[in-house]
Amino acid sequence: MNAKFTVLIIEDEENIASFIKNTLINHDYKVLLAYTGQQGLSLINSQCPDIILLDLGLPDMNGTDIIKSVRSWSSNPIVVVSARTQEYEKVEALELGADDYITKPFGTNELIARIRTSLRHSNRLLKDSPLYKRPYQCGNLYIDFLKRVVMINQQEVHLTPVEYKIVAHLAQNSGKVVTHSSLMTYVWGPYTDTDNKILRVNMANIRRKLEKNPAEPEYIYTEVGIGYRMKEDEYAN
Amino acid sequence: MSIKFNKINIQPIFTSLRKIRHQMNDLTYTILLMICSTTIAFLFFFSSEKNTANITLVYILALILTARYTNSFLYGICSSLIYVVLVNCFFTYPYFRIDFTLSGYPVTFIVMLAITLTTSATTSHLRIQSKLLSEREEMLQKADKEKMRANLLRAISHDLRTPLTSIIGTSANYLESNTLSEEEARVLLQHIYDDSTWLLHMVENLLSVTRIQDTNTKVKKTEEAIEEVISEAISRFKKRQPIARLEVKIPDELLVVPMDALLIEQVIINLLENAWVHSRSSYAITLSITHNEKEVAFHIRDYGIGIPSEHVSTIFDGMTASNSKSIDGHRGMGIGLSICKTIIEAHRGTITAMNCNPGAEFIFTLPKEDAYEC
Repeated sequence: MNAKFTVLIIEDEENIASFIKNTLINHDYKVLLAYTGQQGLSLINSQCPDIILLDLGLPDMNGTDIIKSVRSWSSNPIVVVSARTQEYEKVEALELGADDYITKPFGTNELIARIRTSLRHSNRLLKDSPLYKRPYQCGNLYIDFLKRVVMINQQEVHLTPVEYKIVAHLAQNSGKVVTHSSLMTYVWGPYTDTDNKILRVNMANIRRKLEKNPAEPEYIYTEVGIGYRMKEDEYAN
Repeated sequence: MSIKFNKINIQPIFTSLRKIRHQMNDLTYTILLMICSTTIAFLFFFSSEKNTANITLVYILALILTARYTNSFLYGICSSLIYVVLVNCFFTYPYFRIDFTLSGYPVTFIVMLAITLTTSATTSHLRIQSKLLSEREEMLQKADKEKMRANLLRAISHDLRTPLTSIIGTSANYLESNTLSEEEARVLLQHIYDDSTWLLHMVENLLSVTRIQDTNTKVKKTEEAIEEVISEAISRFKKRQPIARLEVKIPDELLVVPMDALLIEQVIINLLENAWVHSRSSYAITLSITHNEKEVAFHIRDYGIGIPSEHVSTIFDGMTASNSKSIDGHRGMGIGLSICKTIIEAHRGTITAMNCNPGAEFIFTLPKEDAYEC
């Protein structure tokens, strides 16, 4: 890494902001701090940070407005920081274009992992990049996107076309949360039902094919009320 | 309450009668009874050979019905008067003429009046009693709720104060002392870290209860796959208790049940944590799912010391928080368990605890279909 990545933290609680700042500095990031939404927006415009950590509960404006405003001109990754009980807020933020979220309270490792994943995916916007074509590998799971083959312990797993489409999409976004609705849109097109039962059924089948114990999955995690997250590709970093 | 009361002494015919009765006011009811009984009386009068005894009986029945199902004595007394006049006028010789000189007339009148008064008195007595009963029940319920709330508050303040005291004390210790070795400082910080993690868990529990405004109101349910909720609960539990051993068995088919997933996750985590911390056993906890057409049951079983027998029945009441602390030295799960109960009851499920030697089993059920009635 030749240059440090710049992280902008928009957080009104000083204690939390300073704790995140220290953590990130220890991990070799350059950090900008904003305590209000206005401050944050002007820093985004003037400094062009590589990634934005955004607390949704700000005193002067709604966090979702910041996402909207940033998304109107930039595809910079945004990671939302929010409390456990606010699923709707999270889903809304993700649907507006936030890349991922992290739930308070979080550990250092979790925070760094989220930031890395989001930075990595932001470099992948070009579908032709070699990263996109390279197979996914994690533990015993191996997915070759060019041959459309999924293997566990070197044994090919037979998936239906829909199941493959879901798994491949999750794998290409590995480490990142993928919401129910974006997964539905990706697989069944934009005019599908809002009822995600069909997705649930497919996920249950996938889990039974890929996981040793579906109740303790190794590869595809559920984020209840929000979506699914596939374990990070081993060669990601 | 009143319905239950009536069921005891009223036959099915009267049930339908009561239904009709509910549709009209007292006056219409009285007049209708009068018309009916007079019609029947005339049928008797013209068909048979002027059987006065039967006619009187019909009127007495009408009288009893009037007194029983009207709200005022007045209707009964008035109708008894009218009935006496009617009997006198139509059905006793001389027919179609009022003749008060008839012998035995005062007796008829007095008997009819007595019947009316007795029935009315019994009725109003019953009514007052059932009202009293329902009032008492309501008060008991209120007191129960109040008691539960007080218990919960007591348990909460106790359970929150303990780690806070420890955090404040330890950090003051750290700030004031300048002779601490690196190792000692680490230990102190670790204590603060542990206590605050525990505190956070508690607060999350309490926050989850705020999603249920009242034990009677329904929770916001969405269809959720049980395996997804379980797997997230387990991963959160393992984050808190990394060394815990756990075996999970879920059925092969996909089970989708309406619930507030966040709350049910909280219940699963609380029960797992309770099983792991309080069983004092390193034997793996098992979490298994069974189901029938109506409901899904979650079984959380440990193989430890079990529940002290005197606590089995009260374990969900939030009282054991301080008691259990003295028993095994761990912080009580009192709030946690009473919150579990609140959550499950808001879902119209059941939660039970039992000893099964060795260890204990906690079972909670969730209905598969959302019951829309309230």
